[in-house]
Amino acid sequence: MTQPTWGPVQQEMSDILQRHPDDVPGVVDQLTRLQEVLCRIPPLLHGNPLADFNKLYLTITENVLDRLYAGKFKDPAFLARLDVEFAARYFDALRYWTEASPACPGVWAGLFTRIPGPDARPLPSAVAGVNAHINFDLPFALVTTFDHLGSDPVDGSDQHHDYLQVNDIFAEEIPGLRRGYLDRWQLLIDTMNGDLDDWWQGEMVEYTRNVAWRNAQRIWALRHDMAALDKERRRLDNTATGLGKLLLSPFGGFLQ
Amino acid sequence: MASLGDEGPLVGRTGTLADVQSYLRDVGPGGTAAVFVTGESGVGKSRLLRETTAAMRTHGFAVLFGTCLDIGDASPLHPVLQALRRREDSGPATPADDAGALLERVSRDLRAIAGDQRLLLVLDDLQWADRSTRQLLLYLLAGLGDVRVSVLAAIRAEALHGTHPLRRVLAELRRLRSVRVVDLAPLSQEQTHELVGAIVGGTVASEDADRVYKRSGGNPFIAEELARDLRDGRIELSDTLREIFLSRVDELPPNAHTVVHAIAAGVEPIHHSVLARVVPLPEDQLIEAIRAAVTHRFVASDGDGYKLRHRLVAEVLEQEVLPAEAASLHRRYAEALEAFEGEPDNARLAHHWQRAGEPDRALAPVVAAAHAAERMYGFAEAHRYWTIALHLSAETDPRRTDLLGNAAESAHHCGENLLALARLEELAGRPDAPGRSDLHLRRARYLAAAGRSATAEIEYQRALEAPDCTPRRRASAAAYLAELLLHLGRYADANQHAREALELAAVNGATTDLVRASAALGFSAAFREDPDAGLAVIRHAVEIAERSGHPDDLGVAYLHLAELLTGPLNSIEEGILVARRGAERLADRGAGRTYQTRLLAIAAKGLFRIGQWTEAYTVIETAMSNRPSGADAVELLLGRLQLLVNFGEFANARRDLDGVATLLAGGGARHVLPMLTLRAGLAIWQGEHADARAAVQRAVTETRSDDLVLLGVLAWHGLRAEAYAHAAGHPADPGAMRRLRSVMDRLVKGTVDAPPAVRAVVDGYLDLCTAEISRVEDRHDPEPWARAAAIWDRRQQPYPAAYSRLRHAEAALHRRVRRTAAIKGLRAAYETATAMGARPLADEIIAVAQRYRVTLGEDAQSLPAGPERAADELSTLTGREREVLAAVAEGLTNREIGELLFISERTVGVHLGHIFDKLQVRSRVQASRVYLTAA
Repeated sequence: MTQPTWGPVQQEMSDILQRHPDDVPGVVDQLTRLQEVLCRIPPLLHGNPLADFNKLYLTITENVLDRLYAGKFKDPAFLARLDVEFAARYFDALRYWTEASPACPGVWAGLFTRIPGPDARPLPSAVAGVNAHINFDLPFALVTTFDHLGSDPVDGSDQHHDYLQVNDIFAEEIPGLRRGYLDRWQLLIDTMNGDLDDWWQGEMVEYTRNVAWRNAQRIWALRHDMAALDKERRRLDNTATGLGKLLLSPFGGFLQ
Repeated sequence: MASLGDEGPLVGRTGTLADVQSYLRDVGPGGTAAVFVTGESGVGKSRLLRETTAAMRTHGFAVLFGTCLDIGDASPLHPVLQALRRREDSGPATPADDAGALLERVSRDLRAIAGDQRLLLVLDDLQWADRSTRQLLLYLLAGLGDVRVSVLAAIRAEALHGTHPLRRVLAELRRLRSVRVVDLAPLSQEQTHELVGAIVGGTVASEDADRVYKRSGGNPFIAEELARDLRDGRIELSDTLREIFLSRVDELPPNAHTVVHAIAAGVEPIHHSVLARVVPLPEDQLIEAIRAAVTHRFVASDGDGYKLRHRLVAEVLEQEVLPAEAASLHRRYAEALEAFEGEPDNARLAHHWQRAGEPDRALAPVVAAAHAAERMYGFAEAHRYWTIALHLSAETDPRRTDLLGNAAESAHHCGENLLALARLEELAGRPDAPGRSDLHLRRARYLAAAGRSATAEIEYQRALEAPDCTPRRRASAAAYLAELLLHLGRYADANQHAREALELAAVNGATTDLVRASAALGFSAAFREDPDAGLAVIRHAVEIAERSGHPDDLGVAYLHLAELLTGPLNSIEEGILVARRGAERLADRGAGRTYQTRLLAIAAKGLFRIGQWTEAYTVIETAMSNRPSGADAVELLLGRLQLLVNFGEFANARRDLDGVATLLAGGGARHVLPMLTLRAGLAIWQGEHADARAAVQRAVTETRSDDLVLLGVLAWHGLRAEAYAHAAGHPADPGAMRRLRSVMDRLVKGTVDAPPAVRAVVDGYLDLCTAEISRVEDRHDPEPWARAAAIWDRRQQPYPAAYSRLRHAEAALHRRVRRTAAIKGLRAAYETATAMGARPLADEIIAVAQRYRVTLGEDAQSLPAGPERAADELSTLTGREREVLAAVAEGLTNREIGELLFISERTVGVHLGHIFDKLQVRSRVQASRVYLTAA
């Protein structure tokens, strides 16, 4: 087990993670506090890969909250619960890591170990977090939410419709965030193949989110069988961990 | 014989132990407390439970200890019933009327055990608890069981990672002050050293102790075992738990070896008589072998039988047994269980036969366990058994058709409608499948329950068109279809199918279908603005139900009538009368508890709206004495909470708020919004502006676009919270204001297509919202408040009207305009508020009166409460009935009374009927005489 890497902000991280937000405004608040603290972790400071992911996640969650306030979802109770349950898994992973617990999922541990460096490009770093969160956390968060609300994950349902709307948010946010990261010479490359990249990013999220929905449907069927569930969890963790490693490897830099 | 008490020293947990004990004593407003201990296997959860239990016993707690089983398909309420059996030597498993009655019966047993002590209910391995047990826990913690209980439960952290239902339950409960989640962390390096030192005795080389820490990761169970290896001079420390135990297993004498493996294959605790049948040894050799297993620290024994010292050991051993060996052990367990007299433990029997590789012999106990679970309303557990039964039966098995039917229905009962549909598909493909119309009807019901209305409608149509559809089934299908169309707002179509169903059912249908069809017809007529026709149909349904006398028919019919009256017809008083009459009818028959509760909930809601709060409170208390559970309990608690908030009984309000939150931790999204609105209302009166704002903001993120009325109340509360914050010198939150304004826009848009009854209510709340905004903006404008008061007067809802009058007077007095009218309004508001018992509102009126030097009237402070004035003869009458009677005594006609009291002539007639009944008189003259003598 690698030791926690929060360095000088260890205590602050631990304090923030004592909180368990139970609504979407609370999640936004928690992500905001984390962002402030994550940006102070040496040596990379705001350039560390987790800060990159957290920033993206914060922007997306703020967008979700705005849409909730504006009444844009068909079943806001579902989406609000999903958002809270989804975020809880990210906070859990951070908590396990803070406590040096072996329960920290491999896919998250892969990203957390890279906080002190070597430096990875911001975009693949953020995408590595998105990978962990969507490929691993999301299907379980979906199943828990459906279970709690007493409804089934059905294609074409109100809930499915709302779930897909979050894809639009990712599509909106990722290219925007992406430009924010770029310095001048990267901008040049971006103008050359920008469209292709945007397309690739959009596809990646949409594709994995659909995989998450299918995985959730599969887990749904076996959710009462603890042993099978555990196996499925390990399988998803392994797959996602592999993908995460790839994203944080030098190869990931090609994305940017 | 060694017991579980023979353990290593307890290191590093002194603080935790003290905390847990004080948490368990620190009960919340509902008189209950709970501590959930989470942590990885071997971290010492069970140990903490045992130590705490022992300490609490000496502090005067009655203790009940239960363990959940990991066989995954235990029977409903297993750990609690097991704990009760241990105490009483008798199983309380007699059948109950409904799920609520079962919970009440278990609570009664718990109360009996507690006596005048507090009860400590300890549950180990809660991650394996069945759904019924989780529901019971929430029921008890919400205070519904009327047991002064503290719950201490251990949960394996590993189980919470995935999708375990306890995840969300704990997330919701965590926010209550009476619930603590204690995360048991591994030991630190120093603590591990201390533990090692204590076990080894004497000095330990620090590199040895470090090695133990490193290899155990601070897990006390593993550290303890490694320390023993160290003490016993095993040269090289093992790297894994597996190696530790496998090397020890090798040291066991052969018979003890057999015993350990046998226990590992069993479902703990294993009674000696069972073990004796599984391990074929002469008695003395068996005892010697068990003793050796205990000495080598594999097995522990207590009053209930044998178990392995730790589940981790069982997990290690399971991997070491050859499949054939395991199968043979399970076969012997199954045979041993079957050999005992009486009803076998079907769950265990099924478990062993399955693992013995004998699906055929497992099937009968599985089916028996499914039926037993259904008798205990454990639909989720029953569903699991039916699913197992399907796995056990081959395609060609003729029993499979029956199993599929049961599996589908049980899945539907516990909300697994997708699965229900899948089972039905398989059933449809069988050569001996039921008829087409039956299949279509069932498919339609499952689809409707899954919220897939469009496809459900098609299936109902197919059922109606199927050639094998009997007239009786046609009536049923048409009635269901009408009900579905009603929910979809297609009143004309609903009307047509309801008529068809009614005609069919009248000839040869079941009363249930007749009632369902009448209700659909009545509502659709009422919504199509022919209220009298609708009312007549539902009244007729009530008559039919009265004749059939079946409690379900009676309950449903009264429920529909009361809902129609209090809802779209806005004939609240008559609705209240009908609801109370229905509840009485059922109570007289001693049946239909659930319907009684629901009817009384409707009555209480109506009474709240018309301002008869004391009466409303009495009705809710009556309903609560029926000991409701689930959604019905939530409805009633919300009703009582609303009264308590507005009575100004804040401590009790907090109790009910926690109770609702506890029950909702188990699910129930549609009640979250009213709960958050009331949380905001309570926070406003207590001056906790940030809390009120947070509750409203959260609720705004969870409202559906069709919750127009709820959204209206919420928006008003949100703006009211901002206005109060502003008045108290804290600035209103611009973000919150902006969002609440956009909620108002949503409301305006939403009312365009809403039924007139809904539109009228929402308009009333929109007026209140506009008025609150003028308050936030310091405009001191009396006009919007005058409008709001007028609209709520017209709706005959005195509370919002009185509140608007207060604000109107406040603004007018501030501007020094039309002072006389303002004072008159303030006095009227004060009178209304005191008559209702709305203490916080009355206090605020007094404060405003003092600020502007207004006297509220000479008798203002000593205004007597209305109901107490009546003499004994009239004490059986409700407040409203007394008002009607007073008017009768004055010689007014029904029409005049109606105009006087703002109720319909028809309602006056109904009131009079009740007055005659209660006073046992036959005429207005006789009634007047009783009244005049008493007064």
